[in-house]
Amino acid sequence: MKKILVIEDNPMVIKSLEFKLTKDGNDVHIAHDGREAMKFLKEGEFDLILTDLMLPFVTGNELISYIKKVYPQTPIIVLSTSTQETIIMDAFNMGVDDFITKPFSPNELSLRVKRLLAKS
Amino acid sequence: MENSTYAPSRGFTILLVETNIIEQEKFSQIAISEEWNLVYCKSGIEAIQWLQNNSTADLLVIQEDSLPLNGFQTADYIKSELGLALPVLISVDNQLTEVRPRVHSYVEGFVKKPFHKQSLIEDINAVFSKSIEIAPAQNNRYSLNYLNEIFDGNESIIMESLGLFQTSVDSELKSLNNVLTHRDFTKIREIAHGIKPSFAMLESETGETICHLINNEAKDEEMAYLIGELQQEFNIITEQLSRDFPELNSEV
Repeated sequence: MKKILVIEDNPMVIKSLEFKLTKDGNDVHIAHDGREAMKFLKEGEFDLILTDLMLPFVTGNELISYIKKVYPQTPIIVLSTSTQETIIMDAFNMGVDDFITKPFSPNELSLRVKRLLAKS
Repeated sequence: MENSTYAPSRGFTILLVETNIIEQEKFSQIAISEEWNLVYCKSGIEAIQWLQNNSTADLLVIQEDSLPLNGFQTADYIKSELGLALPVLISVDNQLTEVRPRVHSYVEGFVKKPFHKQSLIEDINAVFSKSIEIAPAQNNRYSLNYLNEIFDGNESIIMESLGLFQTSVDSELKSLNNVLTHRDFTKIREIAHGIKPSFAMLESETGETICHLINNEAKDEEMAYLIGELQQEFNIITEQLSRDFPELNSEV
């Protein structure tokens, strides 16, 4: 069972991610903001991290920098409602592995997650 | 495609998606005795292909847990993508909950398995006694299609999500109005960005568009108007949700 950390503050999006990723056989942990995410990350490593970019307390970019420094091998998928090219490019430049626009297609989410978990 | 026609040529044409061989055979026997034309499809996708390649059928009976598209997803595709007013009955193994027919308003009914001749005929007659909608809930400002897709038609989780929509968006709108009084436009944009997916998940194009405008395009002086419009859209959706699902009011 793969350990996935979801960092997201929209409760409906959290519910959908938790349902889908758990159904796909993963061990899903939820952080509702950047601070909570940092606590999880200090406790141990994850096989995959899905994170929003606009988070309370610690921004998505700060979080991505931290993850890349402490767990450079952990793949990251960015969740965003934004389709702005600059935001997507910035995220990729910081080393994220993939990008999913919310609300996501369940099949697309499964495929992208499985692909990265197979690599990790 | 391997469709097989069992029954005599007169009467209804019924597409059946059922993987349980015993239930298939029972249905087939009932179809023969009632002189229905039965077309057996191995999956919802095969039923969709059959409908694309043939003149329309009179009814689709499809098992709830059909794969890769479940019964609800297949019904949704037939009505919204093919634009066919084909009545759909979902066959279920488990007990029907009271809320299920309302969550899945775009199917015409449910039939319990194991199939029994008398109840099956009653269920089918009930379908033909009501009007068939091509797309459900035409007048609603929300749709459950996406929630049905993402939650595999699980109505208790869909209901939970509707409750989350009501409580979380209501709270965020209060925050929006509060930060508006402080003219904190950066925070206003952040909040709109955060609730945009909630409207999108209920397929509220208006709500989603207003959130997008607030977050990306609107000038500071337009914010008060747009927040008012967003509040109004939310009020309409919650009124419709309360009408369609009165139990939400007691849960919130």
